Amino acid sequence: MIRTLVHLALAVPPFVLGLAWQRQALGVDPQKTLILESGIWTFNLLLLVLVLPPAVRWAGWPQLLRYRRAIGLWVFAYATAHFTFFLSFYLGWDVARLAEEIAERPYVLLGFAAWLVLMLLATTSTRRAIRWLGRNWKRLHTGVYFALAFASVHYLLMIRSEWAWPVSYAVIALMLLLLRLRRVMRPQS
Amino acid sequence: MEYRFEEKLMTRVTDQSSYRRRRFIAGALGLGAFSAFSALRYGDSVSVANETDQDLTAKNDGDILLFEDTGARLTTKHAATHYNNAYEFGWDKTDPYQKSGAFELKPWQVTFDGLCAKPGTFDLDDLMGMPFSHLEERVYDFRCVEAWSMAIPYNGRSLRDILQVVEPLGSARYVAFTSVLRPEQMPGQASAFSTLDWPYVEALTIEEAMHPLTFATFGVYGDQTLPQNGMPFRVTVPWKYGFKSPKFVVRMTFTETRPKATWHLENPREYGWYSNVYPDISHPRWSQATERRIWSEGEIERIPSRPYNGYANEVAHLYPGDRQQYR
Repeated sequence: MIRTLVHLALAVPPFVLGLAWQRQALGVDPQKTLILESGIWTFNLLLLVLVLPPAVRWAGWPQLLRYRRAIGLWVFAYATAHFTFFLSFYLGWDVARLAEEIAERPYVLLGFAAWLVLMLLATTSTRRAIRWLGRNWKRLHTGVYFALAFASVHYLLMIRSEWAWPVSYAVIALMLLLLRLRRVMRPQS
Repeated sequence: MEYRFEEKLMTRVTDQSSYRRRRFIAGALGLGAFSAFSALRYGDSVSVANETDQDLTAKNDGDILLFEDTGARLTTKHAATHYNNAYEFGWDKTDPYQKSGAFELKPWQVTFDGLCAKPGTFDLDDLMGMPFSHLEERVYDFRCVEAWSMAIPYNGRSLRDILQVVEPLGSARYVAFTSVLRPEQMPGQASAFSTLDWPYVEALTIEEAMHPLTFATFGVYGDQTLPQNGMPFRVTVPWKYGFKSPKFVVRMTFTETRPKATWHLENPREYGWYSNVYPDISHPRWSQATERRIWSEGEIERIPSRPYNGYANEVAHLYPGDRQQYR
């Protein structure tokens, strides 16, 4: 029941975006709007996934952790939409140009790297993969922090003169990263 | 991790109400973050959606708009006036039409100074030299460095006809353009989150400024009242990326040394001083090989970009030698 609600809530942003697209309400350049919005929502969900564990510890609310995998899979879905829009609108599915973009433009490289990490995590999220990987699963899935770091720099590189949004996201990401590091560094009793 | 969590629970087993309070706070914080995000990101567009609903006729001003004289296809006026870069009003493409309501178009004067025989300040009507309706109408392809483009009808006259009146001296090698500084009417200039230096400055070599294609522009689509397009007065240089065509120009200064240019100053690696359109010279941020031609709202076609934005026959001779120095 709650699980269904979580999925429904996470489907709202793409639903609203799709509806607006269909109703031609995304402005003069819907392609750009779709790329920007899918990107920012990928970041939002990524932050949500990573804020869960500390929030759960602080508020003694372990039930929330049950939905972490669902949110994580949605992060990958959003990121894939973002990447698909970029491929389609900016590169016209020209794979040779994608290689060129990755080689020449660091923000494309970082975005692509973040997407690869998320794909790896999504494909190892099945029950079977978790069992098969055993202890390594946890180690592998700490990689989400790499996706977070890549995404932060990816967004920071988009700055032309207005820096408020990308810097805010980078600061939040950095705080989550430090929280995690503090926990890892603390001697295990 | 699990173990430590349980341990913590046990030490605070009497503290259930404190956890309940914290859950409430965590929930409220989450809701607050979501609301703040939505308000900051979509607050503007919601108010604009109401406005554009009344503006539907303009939005559908013919899906295919043709230029009468040549039959060439134009970008619709709605698209060209609702998707602009004018950082004076804000960084978003919708800021220029949304936030330019307070901008006063009249009176407008332009000062000419520096290395010229007859410096002075002129009213806009004097610069036009004729009624607005008598001005030439020219269709230029406008090519943004962000790799999108539009075909726009501009109303104006060759800039050189104006520059000749103030008689530049032989020693004048450049013309610097200064845009208006009005932070009280231009919210982007007042923004604390922008690293750009105001007012906006741009510059051309004297040969570029005197080239007949360089267009003193007083209107677009026969309309003088569009600050989002740089009115009441801008200079249009069609073979360069759009930011080389300064808007809201109030001063032109003839100089011997190369003047500053806003975006070049901001990031010289990304924005060359010349910034001619060269599809084969890769830009650190956007590939310039192709461009997305915006014809009307939502109708976008990817087309190959051309050297000098298609004006190579007219202007290539201005740039002898290695083109890298003119990027």
